[in-house]
Amino acid sequence: MMRWLTTTDHKKIGIMYMASTFGFFCIGGLLSMIIRAQLSEPGLSLVSPHAYNQIFTLHGTAMIFLFVAPFGIGLANYLIPLQIGAPDMAFPRLNATSLWLFILGGLTVLSGAAAAGGAAASGWSSYAPLSEIAIATGAGQDLWLIGILMTSVSTILTAVNFIVTVFLYRAPGMTMWRMPIFTWEMVATSLLILMAFPPLAACLCMLLIDRHLGGHFFDPASGGSAVLYMHLFWFFGHPEVYVLILPYFGVITEVVSVFSRKPVFGYVGMVLSAFAIAGLSMGVWAHHMFTTGVVDNPFFAGVSFLIAVPTGIKFFNWAGTMWRGAIQLSTPMLFAIGFMLNFLIGGITGVLLASPPIDYEAHDSYFAVAHFHYVIGGGSLFAIFAALFFWFPKFSGIRLDERLGRAFFYTMFVGFNCTFLPMHFMGLEGMPRRVYTYDAVAHLPILNLISTIGAGIMAIGVLLFIANVVISARKRVPAGDDPWGGYTLEWATTSPPPEFNFTKLPPIRSERPVFDLHHPELTAKAGR
Amino acid sequence: MRGDWAIFILASIVVGVVVYALILAPLVLWRRRSDELPPQFSVNRRVEIFSVAIPLALIAFLFYVTYTSEVSVDAVAAHPFATVDVTGFRWSWRFEYPGAGIRILGTPGRPPELVLAQNETTRIDLRTDDVNHSFWVSDFLFKRDAVPGIVNRFDLTPVRTGTFRGACTQFCGLEHTLMTFTVRVVPLEAYRRWIASHGKAPV
Repeated sequence: MMRWLTTTDHKKIGIMYMASTFGFFCIGGLLSMIIRAQLSEPGLSLVSPHAYNQIFTLHGTAMIFLFVAPFGIGLANYLIPLQIGAPDMAFPRLNATSLWLFILGGLTVLSGAAAAGGAAASGWSSYAPLSEIAIATGAGQDLWLIGILMTSVSTILTAVNFIVTVFLYRAPGMTMWRMPIFTWEMVATSLLILMAFPPLAACLCMLLIDRHLGGHFFDPASGGSAVLYMHLFWFFGHPEVYVLILPYFGVITEVVSVFSRKPVFGYVGMVLSAFAIAGLSMGVWAHHMFTTGVVDNPFFAGVSFLIAVPTGIKFFNWAGTMWRGAIQLSTPMLFAIGFMLNFLIGGITGVLLASPPIDYEAHDSYFAVAHFHYVIGGGSLFAIFAALFFWFPKFSGIRLDERLGRAFFYTMFVGFNCTFLPMHFMGLEGMPRRVYTYDAVAHLPILNLISTIGAGIMAIGVLLFIANVVISARKRVPAGDDPWGGYTLEWATTSPPPEFNFTKLPPIRSERPVFDLHHPELTAKAGR
Repeated sequence: MRGDWAIFILASIVVGVVVYALILAPLVLWRRRSDELPPQFSVNRRVEIFSVAIPLALIAFLFYVTYTSEVSVDAVAAHPFATVDVTGFRWSWRFEYPGAGIRILGTPGRPPELVLAQNETTRIDLRTDDVNHSFWVSDFLFKRDAVPGIVNRFDLTPVRTGTFRGACTQFCGLEHTLMTFTVRVVPLEAYRRWIASHGKAPV
């Protein structure tokens, strides 16, 4: 126990990151069950309006700040040193600091639920002046701000750690152009974090100053500006969306390649598109503000559209990787396919929302709720499960049950689409987001009922996953070092890897050193 | 705006079908059947150039559609038929017809009704008394935010008569859900009668 609490080993830290984020995922998931129960019929009052507002605020906060983004960080913590043949991260103690700061921050946010007046209830975006002291009087809002501030400092520190590790700690032979795509995506993610999170930290500090030190940053009556809050928040908030997805583009790329038994199609395009997405994402924040009427809508629409191009490259390259391959539909690959099918819908509705005349209808309606759940839930969440099934044997040395895994995938895929597909139509029928009930008009009652049933199916799915982990941990089917025929260096060491990762490294002559090792007949051409 | 939706949904379906086919076809055609390695190709410049060029052309077209439509949607008439001051507050709306001396005040749970004349352009000056709100009428495919410190101006020219549901879409606290309203669009004659009968005594 003490060995885990005091560890600076990147693998233990990575596992603790992933485990704690999974805890926050379960909390966020339970909250969403309450939301769906409350909305299952019009006019219900299972929870009070005040409780409902806290619930959706904490649901969004937990899923975005405490699960999807930090899970990627935990996974990268585990994988980056292994994938580049390094013994550990560049700054192991800083790494441990990041982990504990993150967990403490998450608990601080949640502790708001015990405060007088309850937890924060102004949404995950916490818009001022709604979140100013005059309206959000309770300590819950402060605990939210302080907790998120802690997680954002933790994230910045980790990003620095990743960048230094990748730039300076690569094994001999591991040139930048031989790095696994997952590692590349994490470099892009880390740069994005360094650009996006300091403005968030500033924004949170300014709100704290407004609340407790008599500031007026966001108060127009005293010369401040409510629009300033939106600019600062979304200047962080949109790049954050890519912090939530770029690591998982990396996961999907690795999984698709291994389970098609082919190299990544268009490796260079994959790398460049990651940086193109990261770069463009810094110039699109105001597409969250089209309806304010105070931003240059055509400019932000144009730049937002442009992101479709590098994202399209990724889709074409995934298809290219599968093309004429030898595809094996194991659980990680099923989740990768599910990711592509769901994420495509989220991507397409993203283009719709990026067009102001369309956004004028869809913005802040359930259509937008459907959109971002297809991106973060159908996309990132599915990739998280692809990653868990793919690398769990490496983490633990044991295999997860394949049959339960497949059942889990199909349950999640059906449940997910059943939950979120109807939300597009709810939005178009006039249902705003963040409401605790709705009138029995148009098709809203039946659409909401279908959605609630879908959420129940997803809950069963998650239970199947937990059962799978428990059962597999009992059965202990040994995984071996390389159960999937992997390509990257983490498959060249034992499962789980020893402290400091490698006793011996294979020669690195391409981006698939372990493949080269197993197929000496196809000597890799040293070209890159 | 309906035209935009049609174009974007059509484009979405085309893109969706093509990409779904690209993802699903390999699953049918090229499953692992033996231990034999498939061809290990990883580059095809022509495919990669197309995978940039086609999306680029598509979004260029969509941007053109967006830009032309946006200009017309956001345009405000120099001489509107009527002006209404709309103010959002926690948690309802106030509709004021300055020329006619009409003031309609909603309360949470008792949504107010905005009356507009069919085929006439009404200018809305949108404000908020407190936090951010957003004025949304889904049937008009339109919303605009009420932002503290800012007066947002836009035109509504409804073409169909009837009663339409409206709501606040910018989360504004405890009873955000109850911040609904209705819009009743009536023919010009009926509108004039309504103004005349309500003008004296504010409702």
